[in-house]
Amino acid sequence: MIFLNAVLSQQHAPEKLPAAVRAALGKPLRRAATLTQLALVGALACLPKERRHLPTALLWQSTSGPRLETLTLLEEVCHGSAEPMPYDFLASQPAIAAAQIQPFLPGLQSATHFPLDTENEANWSLLLTLASNWLNEGRYAQVLCAHLDSWAESANAHWLALSNTALENAPANLHIRTMNYSDALPDTPDFPATLADWLAQPSSRVLHLQSSATPRLAVEFAQI
Amino acid sequence: MTRPVYIASSGLICARGDSPAKVSQALWAGECTSGKRQLGEREFPYFSLPLSEADWLTRAEQAVSHVAAQLGPLAAETALFLASSSFQIGHFEEQGGPFELPIATASFSRRIAEWMHLSGPRYSFSNACTSGFSAIDAARSLIAAGQLDEAIVVGIELANRSTLAGFAAMELLSRTHCQPFDAKRDGLVLGEAVAAVRLSAKPATWRITGLCTGLDAYSTTGPDPQGGPIAKVAVDCLKEAKINPADIELVKLQAAGSPGTDLAEANALRQIFGNTLPPLLSLKPYLGHTLGASGIAELVTLLACLTLDQIPTTAGFKKVDPEIALFPMVDRSNAHIQRALLNLIGFGGGLASMIIERRT
Repeated sequence: MIFLNAVLSQQHAPEKLPAAVRAALGKPLRRAATLTQLALVGALACLPKERRHLPTALLWQSTSGPRLETLTLLEEVCHGSAEPMPYDFLASQPAIAAAQIQPFLPGLQSATHFPLDTENEANWSLLLTLASNWLNEGRYAQVLCAHLDSWAESANAHWLALSNTALENAPANLHIRTMNYSDALPDTPDFPATLADWLAQPSSRVLHLQSSATPRLAVEFAQI
Repeated sequence: MTRPVYIASSGLICARGDSPAKVSQALWAGECTSGKRQLGEREFPYFSLPLSEADWLTRAEQAVSHVAAQLGPLAAETALFLASSSFQIGHFEEQGGPFELPIATASFSRRIAEWMHLSGPRYSFSNACTSGFSAIDAARSLIAAGQLDEAIVVGIELANRSTLAGFAAMELLSRTHCQPFDAKRDGLVLGEAVAAVRLSAKPATWRITGLCTGLDAYSTTGPDPQGGPIAKVAVDCLKEAKINPADIELVKLQAAGSPGTDLAEANALRQIFGNTLPPLLSLKPYLGHTLGASGIAELVTLLACLTLDQIPTTAGFKKVDPEIALFPMVDRSNAHIQRALLNLIGFGGGLASMIIERRT
């Protein structure tokens, strides 16, 4: 059985994100790109202290990617001197986020970044299916699934924390179904916000998530 | 439900040729020359694709279409898993400023799917040098669980100034050539590749029996020099494959000629295998380090070599580094390999190991 232990949505004004990081860590996180800061604040909010050492995987998707950092890199490479500032290059590489997060989440064993290719579409169904498979195999004790976006005007994060053990306040369990559901919710970046609404005021016994691209694969949530 | 996952077919274009067979022949012949790329006042060796087209997108389409054709007929609804660390940034450079990035960062994946005539689900992966194995890991998980029957996994890394300049700015690049494990190794040599594998639940010659990913947070730019996290991932992979280190007959190294990463990998290998190491092979002196495509490009290259029982030497290696004290293969071999371990060590801390096994 796979349990949903946390559902979280966060929105930060970009200029206030470093303060949120300081509040979470008790100190600033130096030389961290916006997506890294967003990932750290959300991951720590999802996991209580006593679970941060457990074997954990992070699966995070993004529509924006490191957009502003990529623009800075392109300006430096194409319009500046031939070589960019090393930090500006590093900031454009989303893969380095995990190494900066792990000191604060010692159980983090693996991280995968899924850049998205279509506006208003997401890969939640893939992330949750992988998380479910890996938890069933015993590969990890918990999997954090996220959608993180960094735009000029806002930094947005949506999180789902899954485990094969239910926390005291776990709101739902989930199953992967290989069939089509006509009433399924579409796979959009803000799906966790919709899921949170359903958990607060359930209109049906179960809720299905299904990507239009995968008609035979759905995620079913049932309240506990 | 858990099913074995096989590599049913593959495709490749890289500096050494435009098919797996041509690439393996070139490696067996010891061909490892590279070209050059200029960056300001500095010049770096670089492994370019054998394509004459200059326009970035047209060139990308040629490369992708060429590789897709090698995979055999593809059902349009086949799921596509795409790995890259730079996607279409070379296209943005070519267009020039003001730069207009698409809303969705991996919109290039849609175009790749169109070029491959695939309309099924698309998933993109960007985990630096381990992107390819991350994509295979996900596709394999869905096939093993019965949630997919088949998937195409593509690794793509095409020439761009941003990556070359970024690595140059960090002083990670060699100015001469790629020398894995060598005493005089002085950095990476980058290259381009497009490579693909078709993963299937249907039995084929090669099976993926283990694949594990990990994280080394020692630094954002290099692994723990003691190699502990690298060794842990490989040992986990051996456990998943239910084999002992002595069952591994060949290791495809990450070894890119990087002073620090090569040392970490060597220390990890000693922890895994003790004093009885299997033959060690680096393919990067032939292909260059193709970053997000490297996992799949090197997997396809290795499979082509192993299928013909023609294992090349590790070009570029001349003199052992006493600190590493390991020798990669310096003689060609016709050994019939049953099981091989493939290592990836990524920029940014990503780690991955895969074990492939020949079906007899």
